[in-house]
Amino acid sequence: MLTVERLTVRRGGREVLRDVSLSLAPGKTLAVLGESGAGKSTLIASVLGLINPEHGMVSWDGRPIARGAVALVMQEPRAAFNSRLTLRRSVCEPLRARGLPEDQDRFFRLCRGLELEPDLLARRPNQISIGQAQRAGVLRALIAAPPLILFDEPLSALDAATQKHTARLISAIQREEGFAALIVTHDLGYAAAHAENIAVLREGRIEEAADADVFFRNPQSSYGQSLVNAAVALGALEHRAA
Amino acid sequence: MRELLPVLIVVGILAALAVFGPFIAPNPPNAIDIPNRLAPPGGEYLLGTDAMGRCILSRLLHGARWSLGLAFLVSTIGLIAGSVLGLVAAMGGRTVDWAVMRVTDIFLAFPDLVAAVVVAGVLGAGTSSLIFALTVTGWMRYARVARGIGLGLATRGHVVQAQLAGLSGPAIARWHYVPALVPSLTVVWTGMLARAILGISALGFLGFGVQPPTPEWGTMLLDARVHIRSTPLQMIWPGMAVVFCVLAINITGDVLRDALTDRDAPA
Amino acid sequence: MNGAAELLLRSVVVLSGTAILTFILLWHAPGDPALTIAVARYDSVVSADVVDRIRTESGLDAGFWTAFSHWITPLLSGDLGNSSVSGRPIWPELRTAILLTLPLALMGLLIGLALSIPLAILAVRHPGGWIDRGAVALASLGAAMPAYWLALLLILAFAVKLLWFPAMGTGSAAHLVLPGLTLGLGVAASLTRILRSALLEAKGAPFLPALARRGVGPRERAFSHVAPHAAIPVLTVAGLELAFLLEGAVMVEVIFARPGLGGFLIHAIQARDFPKVQAVVMLTAILFVTVNLLTDLLYRLVDPRIGTRDA
Repeated sequence: MLTVERLTVRRGGREVLRDVSLSLAPGKTLAVLGESGAGKSTLIASVLGLINPEHGMVSWDGRPIARGAVALVMQEPRAAFNSRLTLRRSVCEPLRARGLPEDQDRFFRLCRGLELEPDLLARRPNQISIGQAQRAGVLRALIAAPPLILFDEPLSALDAATQKHTARLISAIQREEGFAALIVTHDLGYAAAHAENIAVLREGRIEEAADADVFFRNPQSSYGQSLVNAAVALGALEHRAA
Repeated sequence: MRELLPVLIVVGILAALAVFGPFIAPNPPNAIDIPNRLAPPGGEYLLGTDAMGRCILSRLLHGARWSLGLAFLVSTIGLIAGSVLGLVAAMGGRTVDWAVMRVTDIFLAFPDLVAAVVVAGVLGAGTSSLIFALTVTGWMRYARVARGIGLGLATRGHVVQAQLAGLSGPAIARWHYVPALVPSLTVVWTGMLARAILGISALGFLGFGVQPPTPEWGTMLLDARVHIRSTPLQMIWPGMAVVFCVLAINITGDVLRDALTDRDAPA
Repeated sequence: MNGAAELLLRSVVVLSGTAILTFILLWHAPGDPALTIAVARYDSVVSADVVDRIRTESGLDAGFWTAFSHWITPLLSGDLGNSSVSGRPIWPELRTAILLTLPLALMGLLIGLALSIPLAILAVRHPGGWIDRGAVALASLGAAMPAYWLALLLILAFAVKLLWFPAMGTGSAAHLVLPGLTLGLGVAASLTRILRSALLEAKGAPFLPALARRGVGPRERAFSHVAPHAAIPVLTVAGLELAFLLEGAVMVEVIFARPGLGGFLIHAIQARDFPKVQAVVMLTAILFVTVNLLTDLLYRLVDPRIGTRDA
């Protein structure tokens, strides 16, 4: 269980996050919605332990999160890989870092689940498509079986068709692997289709947090309402309506 | 890494000169032949002899091992020490960075050749103080370049991923920083190699470097200086050897830098 | 954190560091310093008593930090101390040496500027033309040429063969010609390279065609717009050239037997007169730290963005 308690982060004299509290149960998906500048990247960096909060804390089952217990899927798929190493090397880095053996069966099973040809991973990041690179990024996040994976705008670098496909693959493999997913995104359609819980982040504060069903039917905050209305107008929530 | 090819070729030729020079020398470098002292070029000795009748060509070829070999050694020790310090500064956080950069400033607060003269002179003439003097005054450029590139890498996706994976600092440096440093540091290395050749001969010329009778190009010039009126050619040869090597290395460095700046910044 | 105060703090840290490092180096120099002083002072066999007396006198027996404070305390009030060999104050002698080096450095700088500025301007008129390529070749050759060898070549040509100028010593203006030329040719080589690329970059600046279209004449474009742009890199180089001049002067003075700063330093090292060595080191460090501080501050004036960039 991920718990974020009254997290306040100050950067350059400005409060970027203020009193943010969240929780996420194992195997579930929480989508944090917000526009750019709302504090989404700071939230991710805090959960990852890359920055120290002014006060408040982040914990997993009541203990601080250890290095390696949480993985990240980044927005820019290719930049997340060292251009000088093969993808296979980078993908298995979380195992090597902790001296764990490479479980071949698991590796090939995950490759199949993400529709990645294992041969493809002998290449370097600039020799594959962006969609493939992002699926390799998910593979790396999964390889050491962390209980929690963060997704930072995982689809925004992909084209529309690839977005849908990748989102479905991630959901399917999440059901198999059972990790908790914290997805930070401004894409309401994606959140509506795949998240059980929604939190709306605005100017560093949690504006609203609810079950996805409740939120999309009846958003409480005025900001939430405007988000949902805009998405409905654009037809972004079709999937959910159906 | 195709850009590194010209460097490899020129450096290879010079390294071969340092390694094989003594084997193709026609005479022993310290064989004294008084009847033939200060002989002009041509005749029995191709480039003539010095004041003790020693074959200048043989001394030049043996000298390559000292002048070039020591330059390789000095610039490579500087490369390793400097880039390690630069990476420590880049990866160690603000306080470590500040401290390391101030130490670098201290060593830069002085023209490096003058500093080398002071260090070598104070520690006493000889090869080991020469090596120490040139190394201790020759690592700062590497540190600055390594730190600059390192700071740029710290926020790169693959570096953050390596940290999240729990990879140790040295392993992150080895796999995610060092490969990105190689091209730029090679450019710096060529410059420092040329500087080391100049420094070794300058210290030799001042009498603080390699000691006679060892045939080093700077000490040969020091010997030749006295005979500038009678046999001026004697001082032309070692000087030409220094200029040729430095020029070749500098041009190679320029070619490499141009090749690298044409390309995108290294990832 | 990157304001003027931070720059000042850096300068203080660098100067203290230089003082400590130099002292460490001299402290660990091979040989017994008291014995060295005794031999240098009395120039003969000395008894153990004399050596011991010198050891106590100079504070050498009290350990590193005591000896260090012995040296640094008067230095902080501007007293460079006394020669360990002659026992006389260092400053008058050092001042004489500096006054001999200054005209040499100035001469070198003037010759360097006089050669490099016209050469660089001619070179960039037709980039890639024969003047340009010649200038680059000359500059590369100059950078590869050891100062002492160039000096020997000039002596050979102008003092031995042509007998135009004296090769050694000081006294007349003629004595300054060959050392000044040696230094000046070296300065010219590096300045030509830097000026050439600075002018090329300024010439290629995107605002120039726009100025031309607005009717700004070529003369005004060159002086009011290209020159200031080329001035920024030249500013950086000022510090480097200072290093070059000092370094060159050391070598040149030894070859031409001029008892300037270079000769002073070399003699002090050979005589193991460490207070003199320390004096030269600290003066040089103060000079460089001041020049660097001034260039950094000037930079901020010329280009306000620099303060925000991590140095």
